[in-house]
Amino acid sequence: MTFSTMLSTMAAGMLRTCGIFFLTLLGSLPLGMVVCLLRKSKHALVRTIVKIYISIMRGTPLMLQLLVWYFGPYYLFRLPIGGWRFPAIIFGFVVNYAAYFAEIYRSGIDSMPVGQYEAAEVLGYTKGRTFFRIILPQVVKRILPAVTNEVITLVKDTSLAFTLAYSEVFSLAKQISASQTSFVPFVIAGVFYYIANYAVAFAMERIEKALNYYR
Amino acid sequence: MKKIVCIALAALLLLALCACGKDKGPVTYGFLDETLGVESYAIGFRKGDDALMQTVSGAVKALVKDGTYAAIGEKYPDIKDYLCLKAEDISDADLPAKGSGDPSYTFIHGFDLDYPPYSYLQDDGSVGGFDVELCQAVCDYLGWKYQPLPFNWDAKDAELNAGSCDCIWSGFTKEGREDDYCWGITYSNNTQGILVASNSGIKTLADLKGKTVGVQTATSAMDMLEGDRKDLADTFKELKVYETYTIAFADLKAGAIDAIAIDMTAGSFLIANEAAAASK
Repeated sequence: MTFSTMLSTMAAGMLRTCGIFFLTLLGSLPLGMVVCLLRKSKHALVRTIVKIYISIMRGTPLMLQLLVWYFGPYYLFRLPIGGWRFPAIIFGFVVNYAAYFAEIYRSGIDSMPVGQYEAAEVLGYTKGRTFFRIILPQVVKRILPAVTNEVITLVKDTSLAFTLAYSEVFSLAKQISASQTSFVPFVIAGVFYYIANYAVAFAMERIEKALNYYR
Repeated sequence: MKKIVCIALAALLLLALCACGKDKGPVTYGFLDETLGVESYAIGFRKGDDALMQTVSGAVKALVKDGTYAAIGEKYPDIKDYLCLKAEDISDADLPAKGSGDPSYTFIHGFDLDYPPYSYLQDDGSVGGFDVELCQAVCDYLGWKYQPLPFNWDAKDAELNAGSCDCIWSGFTKEGREDDYCWGITYSNNTQGILVASNSGIKTLADLKGKTVGVQTATSAMDMLEGDRKDLADTFKELKVYETYTIAFADLKAGAIDAIAIDMTAGSFLIANEAAAASK
């Protein structure tokens, strides 16, 4: 295999990796907020259920979760699972990452001083307005570094999609390595991951700077 | 004075490096004459899929008869000697007719793309290998559509049972799994052997006493060393289990392990690749 074939094969795999990456972020960033708000719900039952959900999502390997989401419908309910492969992968990643993002959001929200809520109440803000106009904009700024961490982890976690036969860049690296008896594909995969993560870190830094309008 | 010391030390370092790099003659790799045992590669179908198994096995026989099987074997020199089906042994009686399959049917071939030379990525980046080509030929013969599913080997049973693929066909060993699948035709025999470096001094299985031996996880070589040949594995200093043979082979080249337990076809593939790289 020539170096350029290797590169183009793996670049195609990287595109598939990016597919999971963007769809997961698209789903899990908003879902994480919903989970976080439910986690802070006044109802003990809702709170407990969400706590159990977060605990399972964080406490079990993502690889196992992907297997359960994809094969579960067949093994539990004998449903045909043709065509469910890609949705199952995205679903598995989204619900897993939403749990992590929810906890990051919660840390941000809980870090806001009570005084701000009290001041907002005095000024006649409703609860919703207080949250969206006063609390959330500050929370977003505070949690950005933690979110960046998680997003970078996501880039690397996409390699778990091969559990469900999704040929992303790392599984291709393994397969090319087996057929060529060479470690070069792993180095190429490393470079691809690094470029992707550099782009993520760069973009997040720009966002951090843009939001830093009071300093 | 400092400069002189520096230069002297640098020269010493250089000399030391030169000594390290001194050519000890090319190291080659080969198999011990003694082997661990023979196993058969067959096509695994879901239990109860007897009709599908009969059709595919029949089509394989027909391809043996018309020479396609041997022709594909010619493309894979590491496998050629291990193909066990002979045209003269096949009777014409129960072969399916060419094009007798349902043309709207898609046959999904489940395999591991990590398993040269049976199924692996080709030099042009396409999916190939002996098993892939034979399965494609079976589909062409019957008139079916062919669809490859390069799955994760760890999830093969889940994929097969859930109906995501119609068969497991990827250098798949029958021994030890006789009751777990509906087995199709055995199309290749393979021998499990021990791969060593020419300068290792290991000549027989007995020489492996106290040595470190590497093996790839979830392979027949590993099953063998943990089952029938556990007596032999017990004499090793350690049986190291690797995720892939590529990494095990790199460890062998680096001298971190003394031998690799591997089937002859996959091992010959590694040796051939290594020789090709060395001659470049």
